[in-house]
Amino acid sequence: MSSSPVPSPDDDLHSVQKPQRWDVPFWQEGRRRHAKAMTSEDVDRALSFEPFSRIDPALFPGALSLRNILLNDARIRKFKRGQIVVREGDYGNSAFFILSGSVSIATRAIDPDILGRRAPRKKGLLEALSQLWKNPQSPERRELGTADAPPRARRHQKKDQEKTIFLSDVTNVIEEREFQPMEAGELFGEIAALTRTPRTATIFAHESSEILEIRWQGLRDIRHRSPEIKEHVDRLYRERALQAHLRATPLFNRLSSDDLDRIAEATEFQTYGNFDWHGSYKKAQEMSPAEQLRYEPIVAQQGHYPNGVFLIRSGFARLSEPYNRGERTVSYLGKGQVFGLEEIAYNHFRRRQVPFRRTLRGIGHLDVLFIPTRIIEDFLLPSLDAESLPGLDEFDRALAPSALPSAIESPETSDMLEFLVERRFINGTHSMVIDMDRCTRCDDCVRACAATHQNNPRFIRHGPVQDGFMIANACMHCQDPVCMIGCPTGAIHRMSAEGQVVINDVTCVGCATCANACPYNNIQVVVARDERGRALYDAVTHKVIEKAAKCDLCVDQPTGPACANACPHDALARLDLSEWENVSERFQR
Amino acid sequence: MKPFRRRRSLGLLILAIATGLYAWLHLSWRTLSLPAPLRSGVFLLGLTFALAAFNARKKLPFIPLLSARAWMQFHIYAGFFAVAVFLFHTEFRAPTGGLETLVWLLFVAVSLSGLVGLALSRILPPRLTAHGENVVFERIPGLIANLRREVEKLVLDSENRTHSSSIADFHEARLAHYFARPRNLWSHLVSSPRPLNGLLERIDALNRYLDEDERVTSARITELVRAKNNLDFQWHLQGALKLWLFVHIPLSFALLLFAALHGWIAWKFIG
Repeated sequence: MSSSPVPSPDDDLHSVQKPQRWDVPFWQEGRRRHAKAMTSEDVDRALSFEPFSRIDPALFPGALSLRNILLNDARIRKFKRGQIVVREGDYGNSAFFILSGSVSIATRAIDPDILGRRAPRKKGLLEALSQLWKNPQSPERRELGTADAPPRARRHQKKDQEKTIFLSDVTNVIEEREFQPMEAGELFGEIAALTRTPRTATIFAHESSEILEIRWQGLRDIRHRSPEIKEHVDRLYRERALQAHLRATPLFNRLSSDDLDRIAEATEFQTYGNFDWHGSYKKAQEMSPAEQLRYEPIVAQQGHYPNGVFLIRSGFARLSEPYNRGERTVSYLGKGQVFGLEEIAYNHFRRRQVPFRRTLRGIGHLDVLFIPTRIIEDFLLPSLDAESLPGLDEFDRALAPSALPSAIESPETSDMLEFLVERRFINGTHSMVIDMDRCTRCDDCVRACAATHQNNPRFIRHGPVQDGFMIANACMHCQDPVCMIGCPTGAIHRMSAEGQVVINDVTCVGCATCANACPYNNIQVVVARDERGRALYDAVTHKVIEKAAKCDLCVDQPTGPACANACPHDALARLDLSEWENVSERFQR
Repeated sequence: MKPFRRRRSLGLLILAIATGLYAWLHLSWRTLSLPAPLRSGVFLLGLTFALAAFNARKKLPFIPLLSARAWMQFHIYAGFFAVAVFLFHTEFRAPTGGLETLVWLLFVAVSLSGLVGLALSRILPPRLTAHGENVVFERIPGLIANLRREVEKLVLDSENRTHSSSIADFHEARLAHYFARPRNLWSHLVSSPRPLNGLLERIDALNRYLDEDERVTSARITELVRAKNNLDFQWHLQGALKLWLFVHIPLSFALLLFAALHGWIAWKFIG
């Protein structure tokens, strides 16, 4: 997005130390009470376990050696019996490897109160009010360490110390048959860490255990360079994602454990598109809509025999139907949604043979579970009651020769759908949508954003407009935040409880990887300045120090998103565009 | 019914009930010992301060003081209600004294400017949206300067290349003025295409004196004229949406000041 210019001697600059990837090793981050400094002996110990012992260190370059990764991106944590390691629903940025002891995976959801889930800390009333006089006058002011002194921000990290949570009496909370053990030498938490998704289960220490926690950036680098680890992680990912996802899908709620196992055995795991899809997105944006459609991989084709049900595991899919010589988008599907069940149920109960009515295409990266028709007919359909069954009468109406194409039924909605899907705004869970017919361009939203972010607005009231609705350049807190993929330090991460994507200013090295990866240009790279407004520059390289900056959804403000709260004309809203049914009404005038 | 319409209906209903209730109370006060103008005056002054508090709320976006949307709804309907209270307070008569006349004029000016602002904020945004690319207000002078530079370069290059002064003369006579700064305020406010069409007709007429090379330049200038017209439109309409506040807010502060003074004097004399 921007390069670091070399300052001239005349520039008003302030020399400091430029942050580096491993300035804050993982064991120092958050200063957990039970974490100790990683030593060379700890690394040797970790490397003595399978599959780490099979890694060839020669595959790693000197600066990014395997030992360095483990020294800096890993830490050893001690857990006592009942202590929670990961909580279901939390967004995780690390994976775990059991060195000694054992842990248990809860196979059913545990009450959030028992899990100690709490909202992120927000400013108190006085602290919030103090922004009125405490906000600095100079833009993008940062407190970084000078060449000699450590930065104050790092010394203050202790404030962020995380608290440990115990399931005080494990067997009172959860019955023994409702958890599965996991022994030393096993890896867990890698799915959430690598796929930027919430943890699928709560895991707690079954006994006193030592666990190696690996920052996802470290795991990513090891997986990238070592075929053994890649194979191991991918196998676990396929096995566990499948089980967990089926269990979490309401459609399969009524099935017995045995039936679920039979379904799992017959289920195929299919992946479409690239995991790092921001590159293909930029290419797709240069294409015409028809070319874009051809570019998207077809998962299921309209007119073909419905050979099974497709369950979206992650990513998005476009649902389209032919409309004269083109293809009209009629909806999109996201995580947990199902394609093909209507047709199979209709054929089963009406004794007919209708093909797929629509085409399903992968957008960006798409993971689907494919369950064959025979399995659906044998296990799933008999378990569904009248409410869960897809509407057969509706289907009758849709198949009638007199039925109108959806494009004629609601042409404006269709245009908006095409727009949201083509530009992949459907990825946003908190997209800034501005009704331009109501927006008076007063910029109260921008001023409110600046007032809550040290006088630095974190979005631009500008962006593409469709049918009078603007999707502004503000971080959308995506369901699949590809901006996080390349971050070398893990500075850009999800808040564990609610999943907002935020940047840790202390560990951000200003490499602009996230800004370049964001498909929507919603991350800016700004020059860090001192209290006098002087640009900070690195004492060694003489390049200015930059930081990534973006909307943080006012996670620490008592008001919630200041922009939406400050709009007097009800023009601006933060919308979850990932589910069309939730927002389609909002776009109707 | 759409949510906005439902909200408007509800607001109008509450306003009608509040006004009716106030009229009944006002008439009932006549029988009480404290003079009715003093009671209605205190109430009106309080209401005016509550209306002005919206501006303070805007300065404190980090405090959970209800959403600006809720404040705006209160501001609109309480503003209309304040006009009704004002009419009862003045007993539907023109003022007599100097200070009373000043406060009366200020109240009328604040009310009217508020009404104009409300109308502008409902009428202009859809027109801005429909007109073309939306541009951030603060960027418009820079964008106009870019257009101006491009036109000047086109004119100079054309003259150097063709040794003909037709386009340069036209620039001197018409274009330099047009591209100097935002133009045609009133035409844009009333959506009249007359100034743009007039200029385009003149460029069209100029084409008869141009050779093929110059006509390419003239075609590009036509595009830039249209682009400038859009920027002018955005500038004037967005300016109007901002400008009314520069009338409404200072007048409101003056009203608060003089109304408080008027109240204090009335209290001293009647009390």
